[in-house]
Amino acid sequence: MIDPITFSIIRHRLFRVVDEAVITLKNVSGSAITNEGHDLMVSLYRADGSLLMGGVGFLHHLTSAAEACKSIIRRFRGDIHEGDVFLLNDPYTAALHTSDVYLVAPIHFKKELVAWSACFVHVYDIGATNPGGFCPDAENIYTEGFSSPGLRLVEKGEVNRAIMDTFLNMVRSPDMVALDLNSMIACNNVARKRMRSLIEKYGIETVDETCKTLITQSGEKLRARLRELPDGQWQSRQYLSVKDEIARVELTMTKRNDTLVFDFTGSSEQSRHAINCTKWASLGGLFAPLFPLLCYDITWNEGVIKPITMIAPPGTIVNCNRPAPVSVATVGAIQSVNNAACITIGKMLSASEKYASEATAVWHANHFAVFLFGQNQHHKQAIGILTETFAGAGGARTWADGIEVGGEIPNPISRMANIETIEYTFPIRYLFRRRLKDSGGPGRYRGGVGMELSFVPHDAPDGGMHYVVSGKGAKFPMSDGLAGGYPGSPNAYIWIKNNESKTADGHSHPIRLDAMSGEKQAVDWGVFPLMGNDALYVRWNGGGGYGDPLLRPDEEVCRDVEHGLVSPEFAENVYGVAIDDKTGRLDKKLTDKKRTDLLARRKRKNGGGHAAVTNP
Amino acid sequence: MRLSQTLDLDGTSIVCGHCGHGLCDKDVNWKEKAILNETPMRTLGDPYSTDEQVLLRVFSCPNCGALLDTETAMKDDPFLHDKIFT
Ligand SMILES: [Zn+2]
Repeated sequence: MIDPITFSIIRHRLFRVVDEAVITLKNVSGSAITNEGHDLMVSLYRADGSLLMGGVGFLHHLTSAAEACKSIIRRFRGDIHEGDVFLLNDPYTAALHTSDVYLVAPIHFKKELVAWSACFVHVYDIGATNPGGFCPDAENIYTEGFSSPGLRLVEKGEVNRAIMDTFLNMVRSPDMVALDLNSMIACNNVARKRMRSLIEKYGIETVDETCKTLITQSGEKLRARLRELPDGQWQSRQYLSVKDEIARVELTMTKRNDTLVFDFTGSSEQSRHAINCTKWASLGGLFAPLFPLLCYDITWNEGVIKPITMIAPPGTIVNCNRPAPVSVATVGAIQSVNNAACITIGKMLSASEKYASEATAVWHANHFAVFLFGQNQHHKQAIGILTETFAGAGGARTWADGIEVGGEIPNPISRMANIETIEYTFPIRYLFRRRLKDSGGPGRYRGGVGMELSFVPHDAPDGGMHYVVSGKGAKFPMSDGLAGGYPGSPNAYIWIKNNESKTADGHSHPIRLDAMSGEKQAVDWGVFPLMGNDALYVRWNGGGGYGDPLLRPDEEVCRDVEHGLVSPEFAENVYGVAIDDKTGRLDKKLTDKKRTDLLARRKRKNGGGHAAVTNP
Repeated sequence: MRLSQTLDLDGTSIVCGHCGHGLCDKDVNWKEKAILNETPMRTLGDPYSTDEQVLLRVFSCPNCGALLDTETAMKDDPFLHDKIFT
């Protein structure tokens, strides 16, 4: 029996090991997606590969990196040595897509394997058809870049140069990719060093006993929580559109006693586009909201994985068969699995008096992966994601509005780079980047608003750049609301061709989409140019709302209008709140009438829970 | 007994959480008995400018008009069905 003080110290030390390893990743990697966007993850695993301490970063990866460790253990049984580091990025073995490369490393103590550390970053490039790794043109996994079910990159502390050089020979910007790999080797080194000093201090028996107890404790705590919640069944559905294809992720979540089953039966057949999930991706996708929503006070480890079962029929978009393309999975069907699980868990929590306040509408349902590539103003080849894709909008809670541009549930530390950093890296100039009016899902509590941005080429040696856009789902709002709250608005991607309009004061570009001249074309899937006077405009989803918009207090809607988050037209037709044109203040009398009318309209079933909004 | 943020269970009946109006037996999908307003999502204005076929379903209480749930849907897709086992 370990004394509780020592137990707590070791538990916190395990957290700190992960934290320090994350800092190492960020400081060594040179990619904005890692050190600005925080598209990364570090976790610790037991000697058998089961999850010991889930870290921060993209939570989709905690369970799939466990499978990566287990897969390496099977493949290299009897041949795993102190100082080894293994690489695995095959999505059909364990990973989510080829770009998110896992480096997993055994941790030995006195020659005995005692634990594993695992990390990933989205590498600068993976040698896929399209630069940056998201590959809208891929027809199968063979065109999605380098892919390995497991190889030894570092052998007993020495990098295997032949393997490293072969890998780097197959990617664009090999110097940057080398930095990514080095950052992950360094990260695993730090994790190993800190774990060993922890074991040296407290002894292997004490540390091992603590780890075992932590896992037992997490399992017991989650099971106890599940027993407190009512038994039942809850459903959600997500639509994903790519070009003319519309796919569905259908989820029925069943809770009985202390177990939860996530059943995706009824979801669409696997797509010909790269939005598919392998089963590891779907499993990670449903755990990403489950950890924070059900285990906010429970250590994330193997104990909380055991009570959960996933049913994902083979050949569907949530469990595709090789060689289906999957490079867009992390911003494709994984997100839909996330969103669907967030809603079913939210509905289950809502059925409990005690836990209802933990429910949330969907946050940032739809990333908008845009990778820029080409020669930059420093005459170097630059590839990189617009890190704004990580700047999602918060979903409304049962007691508060969603946070404007508040991030996302699956990655509590995601961020976007500041504009100066982006303009330094790429030959572009931002016209604007700001919060998007009317994007937050209406409700008693409003979903947080998303954003809109636009930029043009600037000082580009080649006259501009190109970009890869993997913008699935532009047709559908995906940030579902809860308890009657409306969904947040969907994404949009617009190429403004040869924009030559000028503002009144002579600036070359107006700072509103509707004031830009030139042909406007929706561009949500593929590779497109940004040359000469072209502009790219992107806007992205608001968070889901909670409850009835007609119950949102007048003064809160007025405040939203005053802050530019909701337009007067939207306030009037959806919330039933009228603002006096002249004073800009609440028109109480008209508001009371509007709200009464909207309620009556709803009861008459005459074509709308709201009145149509006409934008001026 | 609580069924969701907007619905209760009274014996074996699902009732509106606002006014107590009885909707249906607990084994039936209450959405069949609620008032359904189905409109194109794009009626919410510019940031919601999507295809005509993308619909917002609004379910309300036939008695008091309270908003009970919403769904994003395509025309013929079945209603989502949530239930508590008792
Ligand atoms: Zn009612």
